[in-house]
Amino acid sequence: MAILPYLRRIGMRLPLKFQSVPAVVVVMVAFNPFASAEPITVSVAISLKPALQTMDAEYNRASGDTLTFNFGASGTLLGQIKAGAPVDLFISAADKQVSELIKDGLADAAGRQVIARGRLALIVPAKQTDTVTSFKEVATDKVERLAIGQPKTVPAGDYASQALAKADLSANVAEKLVYGTNVRQVLDYVVRGEVDAGLVYATDAKEAGETVKVVELIDPSLHDPIIYRAVVLKDAAHRAAAERFITYLLSDAGQRVLSEKGFDPATAAPQTTAPTTVPAR
Amino acid sequence: MTGLWGTLLFSLLIALPATALAALVGVPLAYFMARRQFTGKSLVEALVIIPLVLPPTVVGYVLIMMFGRRSLLGEPIANLTRDLATYFDPQSDYAGYGLLFTPEGGVLAAAVVAMPLLYLPAKAAFASIEREMEDIAKLNGASGWQTFWLVSLPIASRGVASGLVLGFARALGEFGATVMVMGLMPSRPMTLPVLVYSYWEQGTPSAAIGPVLLLSGIALLLAILFNRLPRG
Repeated sequence: MAILPYLRRIGMRLPLKFQSVPAVVVVMVAFNPFASAEPITVSVAISLKPALQTMDAEYNRASGDTLTFNFGASGTLLGQIKAGAPVDLFISAADKQVSELIKDGLADAAGRQVIARGRLALIVPAKQTDTVTSFKEVATDKVERLAIGQPKTVPAGDYASQALAKADLSANVAEKLVYGTNVRQVLDYVVRGEVDAGLVYATDAKEAGETVKVVELIDPSLHDPIIYRAVVLKDAAHRAAAERFITYLLSDAGQRVLSEKGFDPATAAPQTTAPTTVPAR
Repeated sequence: MTGLWGTLLFSLLIALPATALAALVGVPLAYFMARRQFTGKSLVEALVIIPLVLPPTVVGYVLIMMFGRRSLLGEPIANLTRDLATYFDPQSDYAGYGLLFTPEGGVLAAAVVAMPLLYLPAKAAFASIEREMEDIAKLNGASGWQTFWLVSLPIASRGVASGLVLGFARALGEFGATVMVMGLMPSRPMTLPVLVYSYWEQGTPSAAIGPVLLLSGIALLLAILFNRLPRG
């Protein structure tokens, strides 16, 4: 019968009698070794999205902490943090943004960690015929539009423009460039055939599966090493929990998920030389 | 064509044709809708006005889904231009034409968003014309077009003019739909509203002060102009 909830509802209105209940809950939570249940706000480079979403549920089960992700271009996320966004942990797709936070006194140099590494890939729409067959060919008429990330805010775009410059292609592609506001938009432009080629991370290309074709993995010597850096913010409301998540990312379990999604391990020695053309994964 | 003035010029190159396009479609449509009754009229009217209340991002999305290279209308257009190019001029820039990333796309997006603001005052003006005036013109032997050009449009000119001012102001200030359709190409200026957002996104909001002041000044001028238009 419905009498029990009804009584409870009346009971709730008797504050004196039930005052001790919240205190009991607090004590239970504080001493429960399995569930600290801290909410961690993570601003993270959007290229890590598939990997982190895969970890989300498992990490929550294992640690009790809940992860709230804010995905975007690293430069855009940096701007938000500088403007005072309440973020605990920042994971950037380049060293640049993390260094800037440290320079601005918003994070400690001591706490930063490399959690993964990546490669840049030249991709074309899978359906398109008569596409480029090498990076050099983006300068030819085969490419009318080339999408890269906005270099100022999107690390993938920064790496891409470094590679174009170093391969002496910048002047030839200047008129063809289309900027994406983050690397996933660049990928989407290629997937939908709106551009003839695009420079994204190899992991993005892998995520897109059959819809795009990897033409070439870009020689890493053409750009700064692609590293994903995590750093806990000085103003973090959940500092310890954020540090625990970094530890998890560096653990075997965390690195396994990252590796499944195509990222290179955090511990790998920085690549200095590599063949210009590597078969697509 | 860079810097603040280049950006202003580019914005005008988008907003003026957009206003013209919206007027070309909107004014005759307003006249037609003020004069005729037919089934489905309210649906047609709703479709014209809906960009007024829809987020511009939805307008942008719909345009991309319609005109993207792999989309309903975009794919046949891309194929047609490719075939035409193979036949006539293989080097043509229009081979495999897609509306995305082009200034034309920006014009279309701004026109769609500006249209309701132009259409509504124009329709109200046409509706308030006394039918006798048009009937007299017709009795004197004027054709439908002549009646429209020589009688109805001049009488409704104030309503149409306020519609043009409002529509132009909207087209110049359009952000969501135009940025989605035009994208960001470094080889080309941005429109003023996009420039403001882009400075903010790059973490240099203080640099946006120029375009912000310029846009505010233009909006103020257009608002004054709108208020000064003699009422009908």
